[in-house]
Amino acid sequence: MNFDLDTEHLDLAAAAREFLSASASPAAARAALDGGAAVRPGREELVKSGFATITWPDSGGSVLHLAVVAEQAGRVLAGPSLVTYARAAVLLDGDEERLAGIADGSLAVAVVDDDGPVLDAAGATTFLALRDGALVCGPGEVTVRAPIDATRGLGDVALGETTVLVPDAAARWRRADRVGRTILAAEGLGAAACLLDMGVAYAGQRQAFGRAIGSYQAVKHMLVDVYVEVEQLRSLVWWAAWAADHAPGELPLAAAAAKAAAATTLEHAAETAIQVHGGAGFTWEHDAHLYWRRAKVDRFLLGDDTAAFDEVARLAMGAAS
Amino acid sequence: MDFDDTPDEAAWRTRVRAFLEQSRPDPDDPRGWQAALYEAGFVGVAWPVEAGGRGGTLMQQAIVDQEMARLGLPALINLIGIGMCGPTVIMHGSADQKSRYLQRLLRADDLWCQLFSEPEAGSDLAALRTRAVREPGGGWRITGQKVWTTLAHLADYGILLTRTDPGVPKHRGLTMFVVDMSAPGVTVRPLRQMNGDAHFNEVFFDDVAIPDSERLGEPGDGWRVALTTLMSERLSLGGGGTGIGPKPEAVARHVAAHLGALSADRQALARQQLGRGYVAALGARYTGYRQLSRISRGELPGPEASAGKLSGTRSARDLTDLAVRVLGEDARVAGDIWQNAQAVLPGMAIAGGSDQVLRNIIGERVLGLPAEPRADKGVTFRESIG
Repeated sequence: MNFDLDTEHLDLAAAAREFLSASASPAAARAALDGGAAVRPGREELVKSGFATITWPDSGGSVLHLAVVAEQAGRVLAGPSLVTYARAAVLLDGDEERLAGIADGSLAVAVVDDDGPVLDAAGATTFLALRDGALVCGPGEVTVRAPIDATRGLGDVALGETTVLVPDAAARWRRADRVGRTILAAEGLGAAACLLDMGVAYAGQRQAFGRAIGSYQAVKHMLVDVYVEVEQLRSLVWWAAWAADHAPGELPLAAAAAKAAAATTLEHAAETAIQVHGGAGFTWEHDAHLYWRRAKVDRFLLGDDTAAFDEVARLAMGAAS
Repeated sequence: MDFDDTPDEAAWRTRVRAFLEQSRPDPDDPRGWQAALYEAGFVGVAWPVEAGGRGGTLMQQAIVDQEMARLGLPALINLIGIGMCGPTVIMHGSADQKSRYLQRLLRADDLWCQLFSEPEAGSDLAALRTRAVREPGGGWRITGQKVWTTLAHLADYGILLTRTDPGVPKHRGLTMFVVDMSAPGVTVRPLRQMNGDAHFNEVFFDDVAIPDSERLGEPGDGWRVALTTLMSERLSLGGGGTGIGPKPEAVARHVAAHLGALSADRQALARQQLGRGYVAALGARYTGYRQLSRISRGELPGPEASAGKLSGTRSARDLTDLAVRVLGEDARVAGDIWQNAQAVLPGMAIAGGSDQVLRNIIGERVLGLPAEPRADKGVTFRESIG
């Protein structure tokens, strides 16, 4: 058994971290929220770096590779989401022209779910959607909505004239959805791990009643509970990514579990980080709320956590009976 | 990344499986079952050969444990001895003690217990009060009381942590011994647990004589010896806490069978609870696989392994709670395995390191948070108890 990242993954993570943190940051996320500054690193830089298109057929990268990058993207609240590229890679498998268009930056893509404002709709020009079981593609009219988390680029999409790319695409759509949930969970993992680091660092410095607040069990145990959840989420993300690459039969359960765990863990991590920081954690200037915003939005993407828990239960009972 | 055995591990698993699948343990003879497994080479797999073990790897032992769990075979009777007492004797015992005790322990010729906790010393183990006083002839006399001692009512021997010097700070005045549980002055009184079982005991020591040759480690070095015991406990919990409580698959099967009797809104709530418990159980399971991967590479589990027990206990309680709820009217009366499980699980959050102590360990050793100040630090034990 070797359920661990190897040096190649760790090198990839380091390279992704270097690239992403050069432009994306909580400060950039705040600027996007405050004054509508562009989301960083942005589509152009992201595809140019090669990280976004790591699961493109000729790139030779796996979903696990992308998950490793996505964790780093989550740490710095990067946008647009790697979920969008993960899903596009599955949906457009075999469509070399469009894949090349996304990779060279001439196509700005978003994937349209029919359950509300669409992830990364802002700035997108080409939309992929499921219509009557067929995968369709076309232009669309985007109405960007007032953001909770501006890095998610949520907007309503009115599709224009579409063309059918794949007539019977339900299975393909489901797989894209599950790979997307896996990458969403990986971004959530990075954000949650970053929040934990913030809380631990502050609890080790901040003094109250003559000692560091992290020495008090009331504070320490809150952070430990987040640590345990973050490590469990990490395990579920790796499992889901591994399943996407090697064991499609395990992917539905693994992806639903990772999605659900990411939603609850990121929320818990964000609320804990704010609490540990006290009044400062509740200010606009502090970074904590930018991650908290990510948590409050991400939990509803690709189905909400309630739906994911329900799916886990149904799959578990189905497998058991 | 993979979940596969290495070729060596696969060959070992095949051998283990072949033996276990044709084994027929007699439920009334737990010592015989352990002895049979020992003769086959599947007990003390990672112990050194000179200690009666097989000189194998922790991974090989983990594979034996996995296969036994998979086939639902009974756990070994001498679990405490194998997991905690034996490793302590291996690390700190004399050549004579090793030759007298270890192989017999592995074969279940002798059963062992661990005499650590006391009425006044639970999580704060080093505050224990059982006194060992040296006699003019060099031997020791023991007086005091231990509690929560699993298996003491059956045990032939125990490892016993005592206070030999109350005039120094609490961690420095301790000494470890091997005690013969049939020695005059040892009284074992079973305690009934809240679920009705009686697996643990009170043990009273009334001027019990122990020869100096039964000391483990130097006088005053008992805390370091005890840490060996507690570290070994971590190793023996290699599954990352996933062995705690009912299997999530079994709960899912049970819930599926009872779901149809619930109203639609109740079904939705039951699925939410199952989903949450199941995700937590999967998280603990796959985190356990990460730990197992480190063991497979020859590394030792660190303090982060405590997280497995913490989360495994939590998810087992949540899943068991649901399993009881779906029983409907029968949920409010006894008589099912699920009602018993719900009465057992509160103890899992206390035994082997309470949830709160485990959180302290993770907070301080993994996250690097500062330790809580101790009011008795640097004070002699005698002063600390006023």
